[in-house]
Amino acid sequence: MRHSWWRWLVGILLVLAVFLPSMTWMQNQITQYKTNYKTPLDPTIMVPGSSASQNRFDALIKELRKETKTAHSVLKVKVAENGQLSYTGSIRRGDNQPFIVVAFENNRDGYANIVKQAQWLNLAMKDLIKTYHFNHFSTLGHSNGGLILSLFLERYLSQIKDVNVDRLMTIATPYNMESNSTTTQTAILKELIKYRKQLPKSLTVYSVAGTENYSSDGTVPANSVNQGKYVFQNQVSHYTQITVTGDDTTHSALPQNKQIVLLIRQYLLQETLPVKDRYQNQAQNQVDSRNASDDPGLP
Amino acid sequence: MRKLWGLNQRLNQWRAIRAIKEALRVVYPFILLMTVVDVLGQSILASDGFFFQIYHIGSWLPAIAVWRVVVQVMSIVINGLVAVMVAFMIANYLAKTYRSDALAVGIISALSFLTLNVNYQALGRKTTSMSQFMEANLGPQGIFLAIVVGLGVGWGASHLMTWFSRWRLRHPQFGQPSWTGRIVLPLTVILLIMVAVGYGLSLLTPYGINGVVYQALSTLVANPGHQGIVIVMVTTISNFLWWIGFVGPVSLAGNSSVTSLQNLSYAIQHGSGWGAPHLVTLHTLGDAYANFGGAGMTLSLVIAIWIGSRQVSYRRIANQTFLPNLVNLNEPTLLGLPLLFNPILLVPFLVAPAVNITLAWFALTWKLVPPIVYPVPRTTPGPLIAYLGTGGDWRALVLSLVCLSVSVLIYLPFVRLLNHEGGSDHAA
Repeated sequence: MRHSWWRWLVGILLVLAVFLPSMTWMQNQITQYKTNYKTPLDPTIMVPGSSASQNRFDALIKELRKETKTAHSVLKVKVAENGQLSYTGSIRRGDNQPFIVVAFENNRDGYANIVKQAQWLNLAMKDLIKTYHFNHFSTLGHSNGGLILSLFLERYLSQIKDVNVDRLMTIATPYNMESNSTTTQTAILKELIKYRKQLPKSLTVYSVAGTENYSSDGTVPANSVNQGKYVFQNQVSHYTQITVTGDDTTHSALPQNKQIVLLIRQYLLQETLPVKDRYQNQAQNQVDSRNASDDPGLP
Repeated sequence: MRKLWGLNQRLNQWRAIRAIKEALRVVYPFILLMTVVDVLGQSILASDGFFFQIYHIGSWLPAIAVWRVVVQVMSIVINGLVAVMVAFMIANYLAKTYRSDALAVGIISALSFLTLNVNYQALGRKTTSMSQFMEANLGPQGIFLAIVVGLGVGWGASHLMTWFSRWRLRHPQFGQPSWTGRIVLPLTVILLIMVAVGYGLSLLTPYGINGVVYQALSTLVANPGHQGIVIVMVTTISNFLWWIGFVGPVSLAGNSSVTSLQNLSYAIQHGSGWGAPHLVTLHTLGDAYANFGGAGMTLSLVIAIWIGSRQVSYRRIANQTFLPNLVNLNEPTLLGLPLLFNPILLVPFLVAPAVNITLAWFALTWKLVPPIVYPVPRTTPGPLIAYLGTGGDWRALVLSLVCLSVSVLIYLPFVRLLNHEGGSDHAA
């Protein structure tokens, strides 16, 4: 029994050597679970462009509901100039992929207005997250809506705790406003490029352009849409540019364009498309990639 | 107790039981080495091992991939063939008692066991992707079948050989029977029988005789629902099957079932497991509080032996298997003591987990402890599972320690009873 005291000591030390690191390990695990956890609720936030109301996406949503079997419910939020939120519609219980349209009372064009609209979007998002407890979402922006969303993702999203954005799709978003130039940068583009490092690294971005002719969809120059690459490329995990031509490719018709509806279903909502639609879409993309390989910059 | 002791003595006189015990004793060192290798591999080197995770071994141990390969190879060789060894040893021992050719009978038995585990699906195919044998059945989970085959072949082959030698003696015109002559006949007869049995079974089911039993058991165990009493029954049945040699895959540990995942997502959203949707499951009761050391709370058996046993062999095996028991690999304890086919230890082996589950059931339904919600590695030391699984709730740790002490107390009288067992068995 002479040695019993140090046996006890060794025993206690061994227990502590297992117990203490296992406690820190456990704390790490739990924080990791928390950060990796995604709520089943996975809304798609839609932001219309300038001069458009919260009803801007009705035609698109009607189209999406017709095509998909899931009956996405729609909640519309209108933000007044004083920050007051007014809701119409609702998120149906059990619907994990609802659409939330955020529109603004002041929906005018121009740099100053877009900056304000991004602030208002932040107000709306905070309220939505507080009410519906989702911690991730996807976004769809048409025209200037894409700019508002990009600004929001850069400036405000990181300040909202534990919430991540999965995907951003912009349709005919003029990253360089009405400018057709590939060299001069307008104020908004400068701003977006300046703070691009704040964009979440895990984000996947699709920028869809429509063209009536070779240079424009009638309102937004194709060059202006293309400037998006200076914002997203080499910052987000994937940045994909898609150009859609053919019927219904004028600027305002784009959201309900059949091809774009398919792109939204496939990329933004991550549906598994039926074979016929998938084929149609692939054929379209193949044409694009061939065009891309004609790029004179390639050897 | 007295009756139990009597039963134990009577069973020990059976040739079959003695053969099983003897065979397991011989196989024990191999199993022990295999388990130590598994302890290294599963708890320290594997990326989901407990010690790997808490000591961040991956970030400082050089050449971890090499270590993993070494450990895996050793584990495949010994772990993968343990049932073949058991089949050999049992027939070998039986043949000795029948004064037959022990070595030959043992080999015939091992070959018979392999015959029953030929993969009939891969037969005659050119593909290399399928193994010729149902490899899983050659490891610990094949021990029951190996015992049955060993006993059957040991008896059958010994008698065939004796009968054949007598027949040759009565008909001296065929000359003196050679070694080859004496082996070939029983080998042919027995292999033909085994092929017939194996092929017949393969027509009924593609998984072999073992596979059928395991599938039936797994479906039984997979979803015992939320009734405390059903969970106790399923655990007891499962533990009884371990006792007769169905070791291994009918393991109760399951972190990934739907209910566990739902509990986990609840806990993440609400910060703790209080009020989780599935309070009473096999996972929250059995895995957390009734599986220390593995099936049958064998960690507490080891402690009970330390406290109460005067048998040198028991104490030695307890010392040697403590570490494996700590990370819930208890095969060497089961096979080394042996606990298998030991009627005295069967009682606490079934009762201790049942009592623990009942204790945990009361504690959970009376809201004294939260259910475990966070997944823990399979190799987490038993008394820590509940504490870590609840995210560090001290009440769960207290309940774990209570469960451990209660199990030790349950095992203790039976371990003391075995002190009376004497003889050459324990000289080893």
